[in-house]
Amino acid sequence: MDNALFDLLDYAVYGTAILVMLIGIYGALAKKSLLKIVIGLSVSDSGLNMLIVAIGYLKGGTAPIFSPGYLDGTNKLMVDPVPQALVLTAIVIGFGVTAVALALVIRLYRHHGTLNIDEIKNLKW
Amino acid sequence: MVGTPVLFIAIPLLAAFLIPLLGMIWKELVRIVPGLVLIYLLILAVNLLDHVMVHGPIIEIIAGWAPPIGINLVFSAFSGFLVTIMIFLGLLIWLYSYRFKKNVGYEPAKKYFLLLMMLITGSVGIVLTGDIFNMFVFIEITGISAYGLTAFYTGRDSAEASFKYLMLGSIASTFLLLAIMIIYSQLGTLNMADIANRIHTMNPTYKIISLIFFITALGIEAEIFPLNGWAPDAYSEAPGPVGAAFAGIVVKASVYAIIRYIFTIFDVDGAFNFLIIIGMLTLIIAEMAAIRQEKLKRMLAYSSIGQMGLVLVAFGFGTEEGVYAALFLMLNHAIIKSLLFFSGSYLVYNSKDKLIAEMNGLGKKLPITSFLFALGAFAIIGLPPFAGFWSKLSVLTAAADKNMIFIMSLILFVSLIELVYYLRVVNRLYNSKEKASSIEVKKPTANALITMLVLGGLILLIGFYPDVVTGVLHKASAALMDKSQYIHNVLSINQ
Amino acid sequence: MATLYLIFIIFLGGAILTYYAGKLGSVLQDIIFLATILGATSLFYAGVHINDFMSFNPGGITLTWGINYFGWLFSLIVLGLGSLAAVYSVGYMKGKKRRGYFYFNFILSIMAMLGILVSQDLISFFIFWEIMTWSSYLMVIYNGKDDQKLGLKYFIFSAIGAYAMLMAIVMVHSVTNTFLIGNMIEAYPQMSLSWQIWIPILFLTAFGVKAAMMPLHVWAPGAYSSSPMAYTSVFSGALSKMGIYGMVIILVTMISHLPQGIWFRETLAWLGGLTAALGTLWAIKQDDAKKLLAYSSIAQLGYIITGVAIGTELGLLAGLFLAVMHALFKGTLFMVVGAIEKQTGTTNFTEVTGLIRKMPWTFFSALLAIIALAGIPPLGGFVGKWMLYEALITSNHYLLVILIFFASTAAFLYCYKFLFGFFMGQEEKEWEHVKEAPATMVVPMVLMALFMAVLGSWPGIILNPINNGLVDLGFVSTYKHLWDTSILFNSWGNQVVLKPLLYSVVAIFVFFAIVLIWKGFKGTRYVSTKDISSSGEVPGENENLTFSLGFAQPFLRAVGPVMKRQIDRYYTEFADGLESFFEFLRRIYTGNGQTYAIYVFVFVVIVLLFKDVLF
Repeated sequence: MDNALFDLLDYAVYGTAILVMLIGIYGALAKKSLLKIVIGLSVSDSGLNMLIVAIGYLKGGTAPIFSPGYLDGTNKLMVDPVPQALVLTAIVIGFGVTAVALALVIRLYRHHGTLNIDEIKNLKW
Repeated sequence: MVGTPVLFIAIPLLAAFLIPLLGMIWKELVRIVPGLVLIYLLILAVNLLDHVMVHGPIIEIIAGWAPPIGINLVFSAFSGFLVTIMIFLGLLIWLYSYRFKKNVGYEPAKKYFLLLMMLITGSVGIVLTGDIFNMFVFIEITGISAYGLTAFYTGRDSAEASFKYLMLGSIASTFLLLAIMIIYSQLGTLNMADIANRIHTMNPTYKIISLIFFITALGIEAEIFPLNGWAPDAYSEAPGPVGAAFAGIVVKASVYAIIRYIFTIFDVDGAFNFLIIIGMLTLIIAEMAAIRQEKLKRMLAYSSIGQMGLVLVAFGFGTEEGVYAALFLMLNHAIIKSLLFFSGSYLVYNSKDKLIAEMNGLGKKLPITSFLFALGAFAIIGLPPFAGFWSKLSVLTAAADKNMIFIMSLILFVSLIELVYYLRVVNRLYNSKEKASSIEVKKPTANALITMLVLGGLILLIGFYPDVVTGVLHKASAALMDKSQYIHNVLSINQ
Repeated sequence: MATLYLIFIIFLGGAILTYYAGKLGSVLQDIIFLATILGATSLFYAGVHINDFMSFNPGGITLTWGINYFGWLFSLIVLGLGSLAAVYSVGYMKGKKRRGYFYFNFILSIMAMLGILVSQDLISFFIFWEIMTWSSYLMVIYNGKDDQKLGLKYFIFSAIGAYAMLMAIVMVHSVTNTFLIGNMIEAYPQMSLSWQIWIPILFLTAFGVKAAMMPLHVWAPGAYSSSPMAYTSVFSGALSKMGIYGMVIILVTMISHLPQGIWFRETLAWLGGLTAALGTLWAIKQDDAKKLLAYSSIAQLGYIITGVAIGTELGLLAGLFLAVMHALFKGTLFMVVGAIEKQTGTTNFTEVTGLIRKMPWTFFSALLAIIALAGIPPLGGFVGKWMLYEALITSNHYLLVILIFFASTAAFLYCYKFLFGFFMGQEEKEWEHVKEAPATMVVPMVLMALFMAVLGSWPGIILNPINNGLVDLGFVSTYKHLWDTSILFNSWGNQVVLKPLLYSVVAIFVFFAIVLIWKGFKGTRYVSTKDISSSGEVPGENENLTFSLGFAQPFLRAVGPVMKRQIDRYYTEFADGLESFFEFLRRIYTGNGQTYAIYVFVFVVIVLLFKDVLF
């Protein structure tokens, strides 16, 4: 494999992440079912998390732990640990939000008897 | 000193998780503990604010890592002032909702106070933190507890409001995270002071894109038009005290975040004019929507959105006078709008369909509540000699000093609209022509009454003697304007 | 100079005490109320020295209080009329509901008006101005029967004025960095031309609203007629004069420095004239005494504005003298209506007639007040009118004279209607048991009526304070040679009195009047309204035959086209249009969460697209 392919892969990671985000946003904005909206939001979250991890990734770097290579002082690069930490936090938060959202969807379904967001418009203007 | 800034976050968070446990010991503890915590925090806040006024900001390092690597909390005159308002308001909200309605049982009360403590933790955290990712976490904490509080009443359409709030809230968090990552990928740091120090080295395109993302994300929380679709619903469906908490605590924290980004972190001058533009848009459209509302709480919600727009306009002047005016507005808004929400929710409670049209002659049945509502309405319109007048005067003075006559006349025109819809309600309260529906009158409980009276007293106090607050406000606005001092203070701190 | 503080503390404390004293007993409440107003009034005249100023700094803003001669002149109106109206109120409010509310707002209004006069800085001026507005607004909605319109209309117009004033105030502040009125006047000639024009316009808007100047007068008829009459006498008599007070200050100290000032003066003078003419026409049309007086107030304020606006010395003297007179006679007339309302329960001319024998003292005061209003010698109104005509003619405003003359001639119609409708004519059975109003109500009316009569012969009593006030504003003193300004006056000693020739005319009138009454008394027979027959037909039981029904119809038909276009309607249409626009606008909030989310993305895209323009 040559370098060009690796470069392409590099961008492909970003591209995939952004694509996943866009798919999620599309789902949240265009789908009428509450469940699909929640899924869309969650998917776009995942895409964003991928993007963040990709930003922190360093080609050829090691895991950001006290690995022998790092301690030896040899010229080994370390992947930036901060984005990974951030993503961990963001995943947890995303999980929480999704859980609340699903709970609300259940209540909405009980109250309105439908999952179509266009029909849940008691509050307006 | 009674403590350090970290207690503002640690104690309420701890209390929030202890509440269900304490409830097992004695059910009344669920209601009492939050109050004790907030009283302690208020004492702490006042003490620290007093200290900060004289000795300069307190910067606290968390977990032993000095900035720019570790997380730090900054309790300056500016952030300290906001924290004090929030805690004070939190205390009043606690007092008001101690027995807000006689029929609220143990289970709902437990959840309510748990979420309220979380809400306060998150909002105070937003204001105190010196780290942008930490701020993201606090915004999410605030958000999740706010969704929960919005959906508090099961019988109404509150789930719908909460879902809208959640939808926009998660979009906001996406944008916020994106913006944070843009900053991080360019500068390799998350510390606010460090970013501010090095922001001029950043590629201008990335800088502006990240600023736009920040404004969008925080604008959703701060109810900026057109990002505020959730706000009227959430305000009108949440319990009355929660409405006050949104207006007085959550939105203030978000506005603080926007201001911190624009004033301290970024060095984009156009952002000030942008603030004026979106602030004016928010103000005008919200007030125009407010005048046509049939429901009282929804009207208050739009009015609250409009006030926040005005705050942003005042910040957008970018002068110290402007900041002073904006802070004064925030303070008054916290006091007056809370009073309106508190008394308004009893007025609503006494009308069947929550319609303004049903409130004819309620002034006779609920004399004190109606009187306080009228006082709040007069104050928020900016009639002297009540508190609102001084902030309106300072906003207009700041505008005139920047020679923005057009903005000034727009603000005054919008005030006229505001005046009309508030007076319509007050007129109804004291209109004896039509008989109000003969349902049983639900009088406010003693604690609710005390809270409202305290707020009413504050309105009069600030109105007659504004000196009680102007000193703090001047210090706070000076602290915000002095950007290099902030950077120096944070970065020079050592272990 | 602590006396001023003390006065305001008395007012505030008295207001609150009065409000709560109602729970202890109504007599106590009356006593505290009277003690507050009368005590503060006497303290003011005994303890406050003219041109003695004091300053303090709340919220970092320098406020200065103190009274100058010009303010002192108006304090006579405010406190004089205020005290008499207070005494009257005690009788008027006897047995009515919400007395605490009434007294509270009454005291606050008086306090606010006095505050306006002692304010030497714009901020306290504005604060008192607004207190005056909302306390009078609370009076307008006192009855609680307001159909959401009158009170709101009053408040909105006041707020338009107040906000205009606030805007001018902060504009001035951005130039001078202080709020002192003196500094504003000093800095005014150095401002840019557009500000020199805008600042007076904004101020005059504010004052024009309170002075019920066309086209800002639409609130007045409703507000005057729906507040309790005891208050309306202050509302129309004193509160509207605050607008005149401000107008004079702006006109004299600012406009006179402006080369284009002549346009301001002409416009204002004509607006005043139109106000007078149209107000009079509308007054003639009214069947309700309250409404009639309200429109008549608007008309009278028009004369005052005209006099003040032409700005010659005589014009100002005329305007201010009329202002004092208006306070007296309109105060009295509203009290008369209040007394009639209290005794009979209605104020409609077509219902009440022939009260002259039932309420002689009320009639006496009404008679004198009407004579003063119509400007017939020898009462004070004549002096003011004469000076106004003379001022207009000597400053070459011939067209305006015609307009004003038309207005005051037409005013005879409603004067006559008022006097005849209530007091003359046949006695109705229905009002057989009506008694004279209680002494607390009659005494203030009679006192004011007598004072009007005195002023007619010795106008110098008021003209000298007016003159002092004008000297304060930078005019030359006319003291002791006032008779140079107008051919009307003569000097006997140091007193300014009317020329003897006039007295001979008056004496002839009085002689004939006495002879006629003497002759008339002998053959008087009292009949009821229905005791007539024409062409053999006897009027039915329910036929309304009162004198005032269909009064002056031919005249009204003649001037009909002028009255068809009511400014009020345009305002209403404008407001309705705005509201439907708002209604349309609020549909932005569709209620669909997804739409809101799309707004967010649209916002981001738009801002990103225009980021180079915006940032």
